[in-house]
Amino acid sequence: MGATFVEYASWFFETTVFIYGVALLLIYAVLAVLSFINIRLFLRKESYTDYNLIVGSPLAPGISVIAPAFNEGLTIISNVRSLLTFDYPNYEVIIINDGSTDDTLEKVVNEFSLVKVDFAYDVKISSKPIRGIYKSTDEAYAKLLVVDKENGKAKADATNAGLNVAAYPYFLCTDVDCILHAQTLQMLIKPIMEEENTRVIATGATLRMANSCEVDEGVLVNIKAPRPLLARFQELEYIRSFVLGKMGWSYINAVPNVSGGLGLFDKEIAIKAGGYDPASFGEDMELRMRVSRYVYDNKIKSSVRYIPNTLCWTEGPTTVKIFMRQRTRWARGLLQLMLAHKKMFFNPAYGRVGMIVYPYNFFFELLAPVVEFLGIIYYIFLIYFGMVNWPYAIILLVFVYTYSVMISTLSVLWDQLTFQYYKTWGDVARVAMMVFIEMLLYHPLIVAFSIRGYYFQLTNRSHSWGNMQRAGFKKKDDNKTPTPTSSTPTADATNAATTAAT
Amino acid sequence: MSNILVIEDDDIMLKAIRNILRKDGHEVITAKDGKEAFEKLDNEQYDIVITDLMMPYANGLEVVSRLRSNPDKRHVGIIVCSSVGNEETITEAFRLGADDYLKKPIMAGELMIRIRKLLANRSSNMKLVTKKK
Amino acid sequence: MWRDLVDLLFQAYEQFSLLPLFIEIALAFIIIAIVATIIAYGAIMYKRYRAYVHEKRVAFISPIIEDLITEQVLLNENLGRDTLIEEIEFDKEALSNKVYKKAFVRQILIETLIQYRKNFRGEVGDLLRKLYIDMDLQKDSFAKMKSVRWERKIKAVVELTQMDITISDVTILPLTNSTNPSLRAAARNAYIQLSKNEPFKFFDIATEPLLPWDQLEMFKIITTTKDIAIPNFSRWVSYSTNKSVVSFCLKLIAHYDQQSAIPAVMELLNNKDHYFRADAISCLGKLSAEVAEEKMVKIYNHQPINCQIEILRAMGSIASGRYFEFLKTEFLYSSNFDIRMNAARAIIRHNTQHSRLLVEELMEMTHEENQLIIKHCLNPLIKY
Repeated sequence: MGATFVEYASWFFETTVFIYGVALLLIYAVLAVLSFINIRLFLRKESYTDYNLIVGSPLAPGISVIAPAFNEGLTIISNVRSLLTFDYPNYEVIIINDGSTDDTLEKVVNEFSLVKVDFAYDVKISSKPIRGIYKSTDEAYAKLLVVDKENGKAKADATNAGLNVAAYPYFLCTDVDCILHAQTLQMLIKPIMEEENTRVIATGATLRMANSCEVDEGVLVNIKAPRPLLARFQELEYIRSFVLGKMGWSYINAVPNVSGGLGLFDKEIAIKAGGYDPASFGEDMELRMRVSRYVYDNKIKSSVRYIPNTLCWTEGPTTVKIFMRQRTRWARGLLQLMLAHKKMFFNPAYGRVGMIVYPYNFFFELLAPVVEFLGIIYYIFLIYFGMVNWPYAIILLVFVYTYSVMISTLSVLWDQLTFQYYKTWGDVARVAMMVFIEMLLYHPLIVAFSIRGYYFQLTNRSHSWGNMQRAGFKKKDDNKTPTPTSSTPTADATNAATTAAT
Repeated sequence: MSNILVIEDDDIMLKAIRNILRKDGHEVITAKDGKEAFEKLDNEQYDIVITDLMMPYANGLEVVSRLRSNPDKRHVGIIVCSSVGNEETITEAFRLGADDYLKKPIMAGELMIRIRKLLANRSSNMKLVTKKK
Repeated sequence: MWRDLVDLLFQAYEQFSLLPLFIEIALAFIIIAIVATIIAYGAIMYKRYRAYVHEKRVAFISPIIEDLITEQVLLNENLGRDTLIEEIEFDKEALSNKVYKKAFVRQILIETLIQYRKNFRGEVGDLLRKLYIDMDLQKDSFAKMKSVRWERKIKAVVELTQMDITISDVTILPLTNSTNPSLRAAARNAYIQLSKNEPFKFFDIATEPLLPWDQLEMFKIITTTKDIAIPNFSRWVSYSTNKSVVSFCLKLIAHYDQQSAIPAVMELLNNKDHYFRADAISCLGKLSAEVAEEKMVKIYNHQPINCQIEILRAMGSIASGRYFEFLKTEFLYSSNFDIRMNAARAIIRHNTQHSRLLVEELMEMTHEENQLIIKHCLNPLIKY
């Protein structure tokens, strides 16, 4: 009756946010259940699986491991060496020297007795020019191929160059500084080989922080939970995102993204879909969407699968500054991608990708930080005008908090069920403790950096800085996207609480 | 009698081969990965090296290649023993200079015969070398 | 005091029922979340404790088991002395150690024996099998077969096949029709390995696809089991309607170099599915089927790229020398890079006087990119 515009608006806002929050919490509950079912199924199969079969078989499909390197002179030798020791009978290792300004190439050439060869290849996907291709004169390194190219200022460009020279029907996309498990190839190829009726176009596995692990010449000697606080938060976030998130999505064939740090792809499909997009800030997720678009447009029944085992360890940023760059970049990538593929939004022609993956990413990855940010502003506004019902607000806050603690704890449990990577109780506790303070310390950072990313993207701010960081830091922190942003169940803490305000 | 280095990352297999060879009267040294193998190869002379292919730090083919390209160690007998059985890998191993390739599961008797043969070859070649001098 | 508590709870409930619905729900969920979190922590601790206990047990028992196997099998005095394996007796006392009565020890024992069998065949392998039988471990495996859980059943089947223990048809046949694909595959593999009469009868009746992962095991069993009579696989190439069976048979034909299958494989060149045709062409190449060359050249122009590439590859391995003109034309004039590459490689693979001259000639007459292709194919360091 006498309701003003402001009252209507606030009613509308609160209802929307409430529904939004409830939906998000429900999705997490469903994911927890689905991932549990999927992990159980995986473990039951593992109990009798003999991976030795594929190691000894002449039928093992060939895999090209593609690993770009930029200014990795310090560690390149042991990294390459470790890539050459997979337990798999049929693979090659393609190292892309992405125009390093240090002695990366020189070191590899000397260590592995490489010579420049006349290598003919077809440019199926364009990339910055290749300066030379090297092979070893030592038969022991016959698996190794090194591509020297001009810097393309993007991992996508380097990987594309690798795709052009790759010989095998599958390729593993990774980073030269990622530490991969020796069983990576056999474990990732298995889902591809055991699916009836659909073509598995990509598979992936869990990533974790390498920060405090003991690594000796590229070999993981002792797995430890990270000590630096920021890396510990990321460890928990990765576990939740992969073990609970992706395993759940994988069960219903709606995996939102195959991480750039570790993913095995069907080469034919990836090339036909156009390869990686060097202009993208989140090239891994972008490829995942484009590949889906391609298979649906061409009526190929396909799937993307995840396994819960951790097969890749990567160095996570430990300073807020680098972390900010990483997350800002991921946020830009997500926004960019959503705009580029908006045609798929709720489009039944794109099956689950159109009906589930895209909408989920849109509402709960892309919009989550925005909704949350608006919620906080609204809340401050209410406090200012003394319109907050404090007891209710606190109850709702506690509700969201306990719920997010529960989901995160479950993901730690699922991870423990999969495999006990940590050798000591202390390591488990170190990660599990983060569950309680994540919402207060870590989550606000993610929201802020995502908003920053969207802002930069919308204002089209200096495209180059995002690429510069590859040059600026020894550790490339920005290319191993677990999910572009990582909304947690805490995402709407404050928003849900606002509903208590009236 | 003779000095044998066994390189193998599977603990069970490593111990088993060690026991079998010791029973046959050989001196056996073991290495469980590529790194340890290279260390032990640097420290001592061996008559025969038995190596797996897939193991941490270094591939068995590297072991073969390094031995063959080292003037002091070129004449060591090398037996590759791996579960990999595809043609390409086997030819690679032989091209690099492996003397024998046994695909797992192996026959213990066969391994012993090959070792004896290699040792016999070696000693007859040694005689030739010393005679020339 | 008891009353006070009841009163308090009652009051609390009254208060609670006056709250708005969403607050009530929130409060309920807070309780649920707290309880679930506590349970999750309990489960984590329980799980880790169990793993810890298991690890301790394994650490304790493994050396004992390894010693047993080392003494009784690996270093058995009767090995290599022409004694029949069946007649070798183990030290009764060593086998009757009472730790071997415990279920978990027996399971570890089975797994260790399998591990050894993966490394050793021949006499040692047979003696490992005898130890498994003499310790009555097959009873444990058969007991697992009765489990309601499919993964336990598969485990049992795998154990028994690894140990080469015959499973009666009555037990295994029903499993070969199981609705669970993994169990079905394991049972079929077991049947192929262990059945003496008709190991390949599944090729006739299988309607579901033979998954590539299951083919690994099947291929290994067929190619390594001692007394399997290898049939002529062209039978299924001609008559099976199951594509995966046919393509698996193509791999086996190539592996066994079954020349007599060539006509049946050539029939597939008319098949509608081009992936399938490519498989057939590749098989003909591996068989060096010179008789198929003419037909392949004839159909070449109507094939999609992947089949054309396979034809060129096949011609490279057949290397009859009769189609140099064809290969030369493809190399010089095809607009497709992969075609040119494979044509060049096919010519080079002939490795005859004529082919070498032809390569030199082509090198002089062609453009830069094609020259690079030739150099690429001639380089022994590059394999693909």
